[in-house]
Amino acid sequence: MSTPDWNDLAELALKRVRASGAEYGDIRVIDSAIQTVRGEDRRIASVKEICDRGFGIRVLYRGAWGFAASSILSTEEVPRIADLAVEIAKGSASLAIDRVRLAEEPRHRDRVVTVCQFDPFSVPLEDKTTLLQEVMERVHRQAGIVRSHAELWARRDRKLFVSTEGTHLDFDLLATQGEISATAVHDGYFATRHFHTPHLRQGYELITEANFLLEAPRIAAQAVEMARAPVVEPGVYDLVLDPEHLSLTIHESCGHPSELDRALGYEANYAGTSFLTLEKRGTFRYGSAQVNLLADNTEPGTLAATGYDDDGVACQKWDVVREGIFVGYCTNREMAPKIGEPRSRGSNRADSWASVPIVRIANIGLEPGAATLSDLIADVKRGIYIEGHGSYSIDQRRYNFQFGGDAFWLIENGRRTHMLRDVIYHGITPEFWSSCDGVADRAHRRRYGFITCGKGQPGQSGWMTHAAPHARFRRVQVISGEARP
Amino acid sequence: MSISTVKSWPNMTSREEVRFLADLVFKRSSGDHTLVTVQDHNGGTTRFANNQVIQNVNTRRGTLTVMVACGRRHGEASTSDFTAGAALETLNRAERIARVSPEDEEFLPPPLPQRYPIVNTFLEETALAGPARRLEYVQEAIGQCRMENLQAAGIVSSCHTAMGVAASSGLFAFEDRTDSRFSITVQAAEATGWASAAHRSIDQLKIQERTLQAIRKAQRGSGAKEIPPGRYPVVLEPAAVAGLLTWFMSMLDAKAYEKGTSPFWGKLGELVIDPRLSLLNRPDHPDLLGLSFGPDGLPTTVFRWIDHGSLKSLVHDRYSAKKHGIDPIPTLESPVLEGEEPTSPRVEDLIRTTERGLLITNFWYIRAVNPSDLTLTGMTRDGTFLIEDGQITRPVRNLRFHESPLRVFMLVDGFTRPAEAVTPETGKLLVPAMKIREFTFTSVTRF
Repeated sequence: MSTPDWNDLAELALKRVRASGAEYGDIRVIDSAIQTVRGEDRRIASVKEICDRGFGIRVLYRGAWGFAASSILSTEEVPRIADLAVEIAKGSASLAIDRVRLAEEPRHRDRVVTVCQFDPFSVPLEDKTTLLQEVMERVHRQAGIVRSHAELWARRDRKLFVSTEGTHLDFDLLATQGEISATAVHDGYFATRHFHTPHLRQGYELITEANFLLEAPRIAAQAVEMARAPVVEPGVYDLVLDPEHLSLTIHESCGHPSELDRALGYEANYAGTSFLTLEKRGTFRYGSAQVNLLADNTEPGTLAATGYDDDGVACQKWDVVREGIFVGYCTNREMAPKIGEPRSRGSNRADSWASVPIVRIANIGLEPGAATLSDLIADVKRGIYIEGHGSYSIDQRRYNFQFGGDAFWLIENGRRTHMLRDVIYHGITPEFWSSCDGVADRAHRRRYGFITCGKGQPGQSGWMTHAAPHARFRRVQVISGEARP
Repeated sequence: MSISTVKSWPNMTSREEVRFLADLVFKRSSGDHTLVTVQDHNGGTTRFANNQVIQNVNTRRGTLTVMVACGRRHGEASTSDFTAGAALETLNRAERIARVSPEDEEFLPPPLPQRYPIVNTFLEETALAGPARRLEYVQEAIGQCRMENLQAAGIVSSCHTAMGVAASSGLFAFEDRTDSRFSITVQAAEATGWASAAHRSIDQLKIQERTLQAIRKAQRGSGAKEIPPGRYPVVLEPAAVAGLLTWFMSMLDAKAYEKGTSPFWGKLGELVIDPRLSLLNRPDHPDLLGLSFGPDGLPTTVFRWIDHGSLKSLVHDRYSAKKHGIDPIPTLESPVLEGEEPTSPRVEDLIRTTERGLLITNFWYIRAVNPSDLTLTGMTRDGTFLIEDGQITRPVRNLRFHESPLRVFMLVDGFTRPAEAVTPETGKLLVPAMKIREFTFTSVTRF
C-alpha cells in the first residue's frame, strides 16, 4: 500500500525529538515479510505470509531512555509517537541515578543488501509445497515412522535507520531456512531425528543445495534406530561434539554470559545475570588453551552480519575468549562506557520495529584447531559422539548447564559403534570448557543460526550465528534422560 | 464494559470497525470460506534494574489476518495496516496462496455463529493506565527496596487489546481485553528474592505486598551453602507447581496421543495425578485472565480436565474433535488445580509437617528431557531453603532437578488452597503449594 516516504517520516520524527531538548534520538522504520510453509504427516498444514510494518522512535532525555512505536505509518501518527517517546523518556529521567552516556560512533551513511542467488519470495509456492510433500513421503517410506514434519521459512526486512547524529542507513536483509524431522515409535518409546539447514542470510540456494530428498531417508532410518537403541549407562564419558551441537553449547554457556548488560544486572529479573563479572575480564580462565571464541559480525551470510546494529554502529570482530582466557564482552553504545571502552562492539539489536534494541550475543564461534574428526574419536576409549540440538537448560548466571542432543553414538576404543538414546550431560561452564583438549580444523567448521534467542521484557527474539568445528571434551558427567521410579 | 465509554487514547479498533473490515473482505473474497482476525494492541512496559528505570516503552500494534479456502485448499496472509486497501491486498495474497496450495484433508470450514460466555475481560483502570501510572508503581517498588539497602530489578506493564474474529459463515466474536503485570527480583548480596503478579486490573497488582515478599526472600537467602544432589522431600510454592503443571498441560495434544507420541499414551481415563486433586478450566474466574473466545472464534469452556486425579480429555483441534465426536471442544486457557479438602491452609503449614526437605520458591529454564515419560529438567531460582524439623533452617545453593510431573504429582503428601501463580515461563494459573514425598535433584550450581 502507498505510505508516506520513509525519509520524510524520519525527518518529521527527528525534528520533533530535537525540538524537545533531547540529547539523542533515532527512528527505525521496518517492513518485514515472512513466509512459512509447514508440512505435517504428509499434508501441507499451513502456508502463511506475514507483512509487518511500523516504526519505533527512541529518545535519550537527560540521560534516560524513552521508546514508543506504532504500526500506523502516517504523518499524524509519527509526531504523536515522537512526543510519547519524549514524554516517556522524561518520566524515566525522573528516576535516573546513573545517567546514560553513549559511546562515540562515526556518522554513517550506507545501504546494506543481502547477496543472494535466488530470492526465496520469487520461488513458486507450488515448488515449495511439492518439495515438502515429497520429503515427507520419503520419510514415511521407512517402516516404524509415525510422524513427519517439514518446513520452509524466509524473511525479508526492509529497514531505515536515521539518528539525530546524522547517521542514515538503509537495509534490505534476507534470511532463509528449511527443516525436516522424522519420529519413530518402538515399544512405547518414541524418538525424533531432525535435519535442518542453518538460518543464514542467503537466498533459496540454501534450500536447493541442502538436498532434503537425500536427507529424508537418512533421518528416518536413524529415528527408527534411535527408538530401538539402548539407554545410555550413566557415568563419566569423553564427548565428541559436532558443530551443530556445539553451536547451542556456545550460545548458552559463552554467548549469554558475555552480554555486558547481563553482567551489569539489567536482565536480573528475567534472563538472569552472568558469572563473567567485570573483574574477570582479562584474567579469568574460561577454558583450556585450545579454546578461542571469536565474535565476528562481519562474516558474510551470518545472521548478525547486518553491516550496522540498531545503534547505527558498524559491525565488528573481536575476541571473547583468547587461549582460554575471557577477554571481551558484547556491548552497545550505552554499556561500553561503563567498562571504559571507547566504542561499542555493535551488538545492539531489536527484533522488530516494535521493540527497543538491547545487547545481543554476537556471531560467536569456536576457532578451528588442527585435528580431524577421526583424530578426535581415535583418542577416545569410552565416549559418546553427539550430533544436533536436544534438551537444554542453564542457570540464570550460566554456570550449571545440562544438554541433550539430536543423536548419540557410543565410542569404544577409538571407534564409533552404535546409537544410544536419552543421553544427557551436565557440568559447570568453565570446568567444561577447561576439559576441551581437541578442536578440529577449518575444513570441519560449520555455521548454525539462531532466531529464537529469548531475552528482554517484553520478550524479544535475537538473531545470531555460531560457527564451530568438532571438538572433544574429557571426563564429562553423563546421566540418562529418564524419570526413575 | 464497552470501550466506547472509555476516554482512552489512542482510540482502539471498535466492534463496528472490525465488522466493517471483515465485511469489506467477505464482499471481495473469491474463496468458498473466509475468516478475518483483527487484533489491535496498545501497551507499555517500564523496566527497572539497579534501582532505576532502564527501559520504558510503549507500542501500538495492529494485525489483520485473512484466511481464505477454496475447497480444501487454504492460505493465510496478514498485515499490520488496517486501511481498506491493505485489507484487500492481504485478501489477494491469501487467495493466491489458497489457489496453489495442495488440498488439506484436515481442513474444516470456519465455525458457524456461536454463543459466548460472559467474561469480564476489560477493566477501565488498566486501559487508562499509561507511562505515568507504571512509573508510579516502579517508584513505589524501588523505594521499598532502597529503604532496605537492596537492589531491585523488574517490570510494570499494562495493555489493552481489542480482539475480533469474523467468518463468512456468519461467525462474529469481539472483546476488549486488558492485562497488567508486575514482577520484581530483589538482590541481597549473592541471594535473590522474587515475586510477581498478573491481573486484568492494574489496581490489583499489590505492588507493596509483592515487593515485601521478594525482599523477605532475598534477605532470608543470604549465605546459601551447598547441599548434595539427591532425592529430597520438597515443599513447592505455587510458582514452582505452575512451572511443572504448564509442561504437563502442554503435552495433552490429542494427535500426539493417537500417534503414540504422547507421554499420556494409554492414560486417558486413568489416574495421572493424586486423586485428591482436580484440574479445571475457569475462564469466568475473576483472578484469572479468562477469555470468552479463542483464536478460531470458538467459545471458551468451563471444563473439568482432571477429575479426582483421572484424565478426562485431551487437547483437540477442530479436526481431531470432529473425528472423535467431541463438541464443544474443551479449552484450557484459565487453569485451576485444586482439591476439595486442602490438607493445609498455608505453605507454612506444609513446612511445619516436614521433617527434612527443601522449600522451592520457583523453577527456571524448565525443558523436556524425555517427552516419552515427560521427564523435565530445570533449576531452582530465587529462594531455595533447607527445612529441618518443621522449620526453615538455612538457604541452600540452587539445584538442578530431573523429574517427571507424571511421577511426582502422584507423590503428593499435602497441598494448600490454590493461589495465584505467574512466572516468566508460564501464563497465569491458580495452583496450590504442594508437599512432594520425593523429588530428584541431579546437580548443584555455584550460588
